[in-house]
Amino acid sequence: MDLEDLYRILRTGHVQAQGIVDTVPDPMLVLDSALTVQSANRAFFRTFAVDRYDTIGQHLYELGNGQWDIPELRHLLGEVIPKSSAVMDYRVTHDFPQIGKKIMLLTARTVFNPDNVSHLMLLSIVDITERSRKEAEFEAVFGELRHRLKNVLGLVRALANQTKAEGISGEEYRKVFLGRLHAVADANDLAFSDHGEDSLEALVARATKPFQTTPETIIVEPGPPVALASKEIMSLSLLLHELATNAIKYGALSAPAGTVRIRWEVEQGDHPLLRLSWRESGGPPVRKPASTGYGTQLIKFAIAYNLGGQVEQKYRTEGFEAEIVVPLERAARPD
Amino acid sequence: MQKTILIVEDEFVIAMDLKVMLERQGWRVLGPVAGVANALRLLEDERPTVALLDVNLGDQLVTLVAEALRSRGVPFAVASAYDKPELVGGAVLAGVPNVGKPTSERNLLEVLAKLSTS
Repeated sequence: MDLEDLYRILRTGHVQAQGIVDTVPDPMLVLDSALTVQSANRAFFRTFAVDRYDTIGQHLYELGNGQWDIPELRHLLGEVIPKSSAVMDYRVTHDFPQIGKKIMLLTARTVFNPDNVSHLMLLSIVDITERSRKEAEFEAVFGELRHRLKNVLGLVRALANQTKAEGISGEEYRKVFLGRLHAVADANDLAFSDHGEDSLEALVARATKPFQTTPETIIVEPGPPVALASKEIMSLSLLLHELATNAIKYGALSAPAGTVRIRWEVEQGDHPLLRLSWRESGGPPVRKPASTGYGTQLIKFAIAYNLGGQVEQKYRTEGFEAEIVVPLERAARPD
Repeated sequence: MQKTILIVEDEFVIAMDLKVMLERQGWRVLGPVAGVANALRLLEDERPTVALLDVNLGDQLVTLVAEALRSRGVPFAVASAYDKPELVGGAVLAGVPNVGKPTSERNLLEVLAKLSTS
């Protein structure tokens, strides 16, 4: 074997080793026992925005003007590694001058080389900055979702408790309660899907759908676009549900030819108002009820309580009417 | 003398339910109100025996009401979906009984009875 052959063997070994190190997708350094960088992979250069020539042959703590001279890393390599041959996923947070704050998982392993009785150390650095940010975001979203879920359950509990059970059958109670539950579910669904400027239109279509026995039963006139917040969606969804339920029980929708007409407009100005009207016709003659039930109370409360609006209910002989006025700017709300 | 309770809760269905439930149990209810300003206004006129507060009132927190109650010596409980309401509403809510959400009637009445006799 001449010198040429020996060189070829060494060279092949080196190319193979470098190839392996380069194949590792996460940043990796090969250090000798004095912590001088023997080799580094592409991922290392890319992630930490450094150059090959400024890296190889340098002492780890002098790399990039000492940016790797991190107390936690010194502790890991100086005290932990000599006592155990490997350290897995050691979490280090460091603010780099060029690339900013990085959260990293360090894994170090010493490799004994029997030929020249020396130690090499493989140091892999997994950048989990982005993953940690996403995890934190997920935690926040999850917490919010959990909170919302409990709130919705609180609302459902209140509805079940408030739906009248006295003097009616279990079947009747179930029907009324499930109707209200459906209105809450619809509102929840709408509040999660973004309808933007068309939220009112989407809400009216959705809330009236279960009552549309023919296309003419509830006529919705096209109105101006109105964006609604989730609280407004919940209140208006329950309101429309109660109005429709009353119409079926006592009003226009109790007669085959009866209809309801819904229209709305936005009164512009310093304090924009939404005016929504519900007009019934073609039903039996209307008489003002002697007492008002929970549904009517719910209608009033839904609009007045936290939307700061008003509902006027008119029992005209030819058909029941409701005029709903809701301030559209949040500042006008009773906070 | 009839015991009074201030209720601050931004969800109207829950507020209505709490009011009806507590009135049936012989309480006189101040409010319910959905927000801080209205709650503080009610407190100007009358000092309730106890108060029941929701922590997250849509786009505001109940913290100022809790502080006003504390300075007037009115005991209060929270009805919050948060496990640790003080992390959201501030230190004034630390150690305050939380009747939770959904709120069970029995638990609520027990807590209020304890608060109003202490």
